[in-house]
Amino acid sequence: MRVTAFLTDSTLCIGCKACEVACKEWNEVPDDGFDWSGFSYDNTGSVGHSTWRHVKFVEQAPEAGLGGNDPDLASWTFSSDVCKHCENAGCLEACPTGAIVRTEFGGVFLQPDICNGCGYCVVACPFGVVEKRPGDGRAFKCTFCYDRQKVGLTPACAKACPTESIQFGEIESLRLKAKERVQELHARGMEDATLYDAADSSVGGTHAMFVVRGDPRAYNLPPNPECPTVYLKKAWTSSAVAAALLVGGSLIAFLADRKRPSR
Amino acid sequence: MPGLGTSFGRGGATTAQQDLANSDAILIMGSSMAENHPVGFQWVMEARERGATVIHVDPRFTRTSAMADIWVPLRAGTDTVFLGGLIHYALTHDKVFREYVVHYTNAATLVRDDFQDTEDLDGLFSGWDEATRQYDPTSWKYREAEGEGLTPADPTLQDPKCVYQVLKRHFSRYTPEMVERICGVPRDVFVKTAEAFTAASGHEKTGALCYAVGFTQHSNGVQIIRSAAILQLLLGNIGRPGGGILALRGHASIQGSTDIPTLFDILPGYLPMPALGPDSLDLQSYVAKNSSQTGLWANFDKYFISLLKAYYGESATPENQYGFHWLPRISGDHSHFGYWLDMADGKMEGLFVMGQNPAVGAPNARLERRALAKLKWLVVREMVETETAAFWYDSPEISSGELATEDIATEVFLFPAAGSAEKAGTFTNTQRLLQFREKAVDPPGEARSEAWFMHHLARRLKARAVGDARPRNAGLNALTWNYATEGRHHEPVIAEVLQEINGRSLPGGELLEGSAQLKNDGTTACGCWIYSGVFPSPGRNRANERSPKGYLGHGWGFAWPNDIRILYNRASAAPDGSPWSERKKLVWWSEQDRRWDGLDTPDYPRDLSPAAPADLRAGIGVTALGGQNPFILHADGKGWLYVPTGLKDGPLPTHYEALESPFPNAMHSQQCDPAAQTMARPDNLYADSPGDPRYPHILTTYRLTEHHTAGGMSRTLSHLAELQPELFTEVSPELAAEAGLDHGAMARVVTPRGEIVARVLVTQRMHPLWVQGRRIHQVGLPYHWGYRGLVTGDVVNDLLAISEEPNVRINETKALVCAILPVAVETERA
Amino acid sequence: MSNPSPPQDPREERLAEIRREAEREGTVKQRGVRPAGAPFPIASAETGYYGIPLLKEPAWTWQIPLYFFVGGAAGAAAVMGAIANATGADRRLVRDARFIAASGAVLSPALLIADLGRPERFLAMMRVFKPRSPMSMGVWTLLGFSGAASATAFAAFLRGRYGPSLPLRVLENAGEAASLAFGLPFSNYAGVLIGATAIPVWNENAGNLPMHFAASGVGSAVGLLELAGHQKNRALQAIGLGAAIFECWEGYRIESRQLPKLDPLKHGPSGRLVRAGGVLSGPVPLLLRLISGFGKGPRSQNLRRIAGLSAIVGSIITRYAWVQAGHASARDWREPLGNNDKTDG
Ligand SMILES: Nc1nc2c(c(=O)[nH]1)N[C@H]1C(S)=C(S)[C@@H](COP(=O)(O)OP(=O)(O)OC[C@H]3O[C@@H](n4cnc5c(=O)[nH]c(N)nc54)[C@H](O)[C@@H]3O)O[C@H]1N2
Ligand SMILES: Nc1nc2c(c(=O)[nH]1)N[C@H]1C(S)=C(S)[C@@H](COP(=O)(O)OP(=O)(O)OC[C@H]3O[C@@H](n4cnc5c(=O)[nH]c(N)nc54)[C@H](O)[C@@H]3O)O[C@H]1N2
Ligand code: SF4
Ligand code: SF4
Ligand code: SF4
Ligand code: SF4
Ligand code: SF4
Ligand SMILES: [Mo]
Repeated sequence: MRVTAFLTDSTLCIGCKACEVACKEWNEVPDDGFDWSGFSYDNTGSVGHSTWRHVKFVEQAPEAGLGGNDPDLASWTFSSDVCKHCENAGCLEACPTGAIVRTEFGGVFLQPDICNGCGYCVVACPFGVVEKRPGDGRAFKCTFCYDRQKVGLTPACAKACPTESIQFGEIESLRLKAKERVQELHARGMEDATLYDAADSSVGGTHAMFVVRGDPRAYNLPPNPECPTVYLKKAWTSSAVAAALLVGGSLIAFLADRKRPSR
Repeated sequence: MPGLGTSFGRGGATTAQQDLANSDAILIMGSSMAENHPVGFQWVMEARERGATVIHVDPRFTRTSAMADIWVPLRAGTDTVFLGGLIHYALTHDKVFREYVVHYTNAATLVRDDFQDTEDLDGLFSGWDEATRQYDPTSWKYREAEGEGLTPADPTLQDPKCVYQVLKRHFSRYTPEMVERICGVPRDVFVKTAEAFTAASGHEKTGALCYAVGFTQHSNGVQIIRSAAILQLLLGNIGRPGGGILALRGHASIQGSTDIPTLFDILPGYLPMPALGPDSLDLQSYVAKNSSQTGLWANFDKYFISLLKAYYGESATPENQYGFHWLPRISGDHSHFGYWLDMADGKMEGLFVMGQNPAVGAPNARLERRALAKLKWLVVREMVETETAAFWYDSPEISSGELATEDIATEVFLFPAAGSAEKAGTFTNTQRLLQFREKAVDPPGEARSEAWFMHHLARRLKARAVGDARPRNAGLNALTWNYATEGRHHEPVIAEVLQEINGRSLPGGELLEGSAQLKNDGTTACGCWIYSGVFPSPGRNRANERSPKGYLGHGWGFAWPNDIRILYNRASAAPDGSPWSERKKLVWWSEQDRRWDGLDTPDYPRDLSPAAPADLRAGIGVTALGGQNPFILHADGKGWLYVPTGLKDGPLPTHYEALESPFPNAMHSQQCDPAAQTMARPDNLYADSPGDPRYPHILTTYRLTEHHTAGGMSRTLSHLAELQPELFTEVSPELAAEAGLDHGAMARVVTPRGEIVARVLVTQRMHPLWVQGRRIHQVGLPYHWGYRGLVTGDVVNDLLAISEEPNVRINETKALVCAILPVAVETERA
Repeated sequence: MSNPSPPQDPREERLAEIRREAEREGTVKQRGVRPAGAPFPIASAETGYYGIPLLKEPAWTWQIPLYFFVGGAAGAAAVMGAIANATGADRRLVRDARFIAASGAVLSPALLIADLGRPERFLAMMRVFKPRSPMSMGVWTLLGFSGAASATAFAAFLRGRYGPSLPLRVLENAGEAASLAFGLPFSNYAGVLIGATAIPVWNENAGNLPMHFAASGVGSAVGLLELAGHQKNRALQAIGLGAAIFECWEGYRIESRQLPKLDPLKHGPSGRLVRAGGVLSGPVPLLLRLISGFGKGPRSQNLRRIAGLSAIVGSIITRYAWVQAGHASARDWREPLGNNDKTDG
């Protein structure tokens, strides 16, 4: 099985939300509520239990004479967000039931028939992706279209994208492509183009990479995501110390009390 | 589409969306292509990635602007000035592709001496009759050389009466300063744009222009398209790869619905509907009026008689003029607005509404809804119970008490319709491409296809008319109607309909291979001559072919005519038949094989050599045009920079203000298109123009990617409804500050027709413009909401006026005036 | 690109100023554009994505913090009971400690299961043994503890009823040893559980949350025993003192560190809860215990009872407070974006 990934290139995204809708159609994801946000054209806000693909709209003041493709000014940019399918996935590590597994395609898959809704993955994801669905009780997130990939189909979101803003393919070649793309954008004068793939963090790289213009923070992409397992050592050490103190302290207290009977 | 039709010959996009990838510059104007044609937009992106300059001219900064290299904000309703400015720039900066223009356009042709321009008559062309408010177009014609009946020309383009010189004078005032003054486009932005677009011209380069309803939905929409056509002809961009004008059509198969029209004034294949009048008294005079000696229209009688044979079969005989008299005649304005106003006046009894939701989508929707209440019966075929179907119990008029259900006598029949995946048939898309689609699933319950409905309705009507000798039934009785049916529900076999459209020989019934086989003696029948060839043999439905070859995708579907993907492609070669350049080759003359060859089907007689001389005087048909005239539907074979006949409001585009405008016309004293019709009446009021102080801002309406038109297909689906859940109005921070509008709060938008409430979206994507010495604000409103569905909102079209562009009777949705006020207490959403 | 030569008009200047302000601030304060409900929002490196939280808030219901409390107290009680037993302390104390542990052993799984979105699938927890998942470790600890503590209590009960026997003794002793072993992590793993997450305020404290929770658990276990009539036990007094001192130090640590990540511990509703819990767990019992040390009479015993009660209430509040702080922290988009340069206050 080949290991696959997404490269979502925001410089090619026209903000049509076809990916968002295709994902919902294919996966029968329920609606998000019908609330107007006032955040540009984005009324679904973020990925979550009811939105597995989500298109972000970042507005900056446009100027007459400059389109958004001008190197100087990315005035209205769109970026399609998704579960990062981390190499070191906080959700997967955290899941106590083994509901979350790594698939043969390298994706992180949450098995809905095993999840018992403990909610621990929710706080373990450094990207705020997986979420518990009220009413249903289980946690949900992008499946990386495991069912489609199994039968050789492209994930629905990538398939629906008209401009190849979402590219899907073998991970190493996409990583290469991503680097080349950023170089090309730089050569075109878009100095602000960057690749976001969390490779230099404890997440250890992702199966969903992003090319964006400007600071990734404007798209809620965290600059230093950490897979929460990095805190385990500290925490268990503290736990052991606490245990030692408790045993030691109690022993001393009870022994001391025995030596000087007080009743 | 007379804008393109009169300029080039055919009323369809001249190019294919795939071909945009070959452009060196793409000017998108009057459309937000990325938002409304996202799939086709992939080729714009491809071109951009290959280094093409993408330009978007739009009052708003849209998702399309966000993809462009240059965004030009312009005042809604001033496109002729902007395009005129580009024409002026091309003419004065030596950007014209002269060889192309001299040979392939009517630049050299001389016009009549009594023609007078708007520049001479302060905004009117010669021939205006104030009493009838119509033009007499005689003086617009070409000069006729004494006695010969031939049109003289001056290939040096020096004669002051040649089209080129007329054009130069006509556009001499469309300077960057004028563009700045009228459109509000900063001069340097305009010049930058002009440089970028006109650079994509000549042997090695081409540029394309894409438009949609941002051009058409104006009181002078056709003339805006004409401006685009002139520009593209001057730059030598028609008929060449990466060039052309892409008219982006709307609904799936809206192109199909003008090819085989749902319009009152044309018959299939753009054959004019006969009118009550001396020209159409008999077949002979009607044919004489509409055919020409040279060019493709020399075959008019073949197309028309074959159509009558398709309608009336054996009943159509030479003796009865093939049933010509059974065709209805145009007796007045039977367009949507024409009959709807009649309806409002109680002059109509019944109405079929199929695949339309006018209670939301039509201008002055309030008037339209109230008119529905005057009908005796209304048939709505729909997939959901739309606002139109429910007007009698659920509408703003009912809630306000203006109408009461008890008082509405209209009997409403709501028929469930099969959706597009639930029936077989073809779509004809934006690039004239017919694509056949199989039925994917059976329609649920009682839902049936349109074809089923029409088929069985026709059968029953015919059955009732049998033996009824009244003349009104003669045509109905003569009509052939014998489609086979299939399946449980007796759906007509749709392939048979397509075969009828394709045409057959008579009496044998063999399928035709193309319109060239059509005859004028009743031995062929053809439902639509331009589609002929789509079903050339019983086993071969070309619309259903799915193996694309080459970059134009031949082998996928069938593009009318003759599977030509880029129209007028003879122009991609120089007069001698060789490509203008290796880079831009498409179709060329192969001396070896003595035929036209290339990457596309040649839009030219296959073996008509470039060396063949033209003989316009004695020759007949296309061969009379000789080997060097690519626009074969025109009698002179030329692309028309100047339109001597065929338009109701002038041979050249000129700037008119919108029917409602804050500004006086700065070009001349004629404020609006004189031939446009306002249909003003108490229930269709207009603001004073220019400069009604009550309505200081410009209002424009448009679409969002997330919804579809009147919303019946998107507001009812949660996955779409949630993406844009509420009607909003886009305003600039400056306007918000001036008018006291809060982001996220509610505002009232008011016009003389009504008022609506919408949420305020303050965005820097809206720019106030500096026009004629003052700031002007533009208010944007997407129009998808209504009072039913998962998400509801006020009907934007309650604000709009019914009006009619003179040539196609489309109304003005893109440039109006309005007032916008904060709503003091936030109105809670229901 | 320039504008088409607008004249020197004060109105023009104002419009230009409005646009500049809009660009800068994402809001216009001039007449009109007051930020109503939603201010005219911007997405940028500085403001994040319209200030929409990047992280998801914990999905836990009220049962979970209570479970943390119960587990902490029960675990600590089991440990103390075992040690008391080993050191030959008061039998009653041992019995009561075991009772507390056993009650916790019954209550804890009930609370945990009640919180699950699919309670019927609790058993799925037993599909895997995942050392890297604190939740998995916690569940196994819970199972071990519950089994051990209830076995111990059961054996003791049978012994009391039918008299001692060897098997019962073995069971009781083994159960007790196991209770000790499982009780230790059980009393504090909740600190690991929330510490090793993506929630900034939690993971920032990953190194001391287990100790904090242990102290809190110990304080409440002592309190429960004191309320059960052991208000004179000096060992308990000493342990309680230790816990209170630790909690004072914990409070000081929280208050003194100037880290924006810690804001939810100091500000807003969660901040108030943390402080209330801290005061009730640390200074209040500490003071009461110190004062009670000066006397021996019923007044002093009452003071100890109040100290115990305070530690219990403080412990409950503390668990809720930390979970609330987690919510507040998840809502703060600045933290994960590293945009929180504002310091305390
Ligand atoms: N997602 C989606 N796609 C659609 C549709 C839909 O409803 N939703 N509808 C389909 C249909 S029926 C049609 S007809 C097409 C229409 O496709 P478009 O023509 O692209 O549709 P609009 O959004 O109505 O208008 C296009 C643009 O014109 C701009 N505009 C307004 N006034 C002027 C003006 O005076 N001059 C210029 N140059 N621009 C102006 C508007 O700001 C808007 O951005 O889209 C089709 N595609
Ligand atoms: N203000 C303003 N108004 C406008 C415009 C604008 O730009 N501004 N644009 C105008 C334009 S270009 C257009 S095209 C119109 C569109 O206006 P309408 O045509 O009135 O609007 P739609 O919502 O497209 O209506 C189509 C209906 O057909 C139904 N339908 C879909 N498929 C089938 C089928 O197979 N059979 C049947 N029987 N029904 C079906 C759908 O449910 C839907 O309700 O709006 C026009 N109005
Ligand atoms: S992004 Fe979150 S949900 Fe997705 S794999 Fe990584 S940790 Fe898991
Ligand atoms: S909620 Fe489901 S998927 Fe998430 S950690 Fe718990 S069991 Fe695993
Ligand atoms: S991969 Fe599949 S599940 Fe994931 S976002 Fe794309 S369509 Fe949705
Ligand atoms: S489908 Fe592609 S272009 Fe459209 S929003 Fe998604 S990523 Fe962007
Ligand atoms: S809806 Fe259909 S016609 Fe419109 S862009 Fe999408 S694929 Fe093309
Ligand atoms: Mo349309």
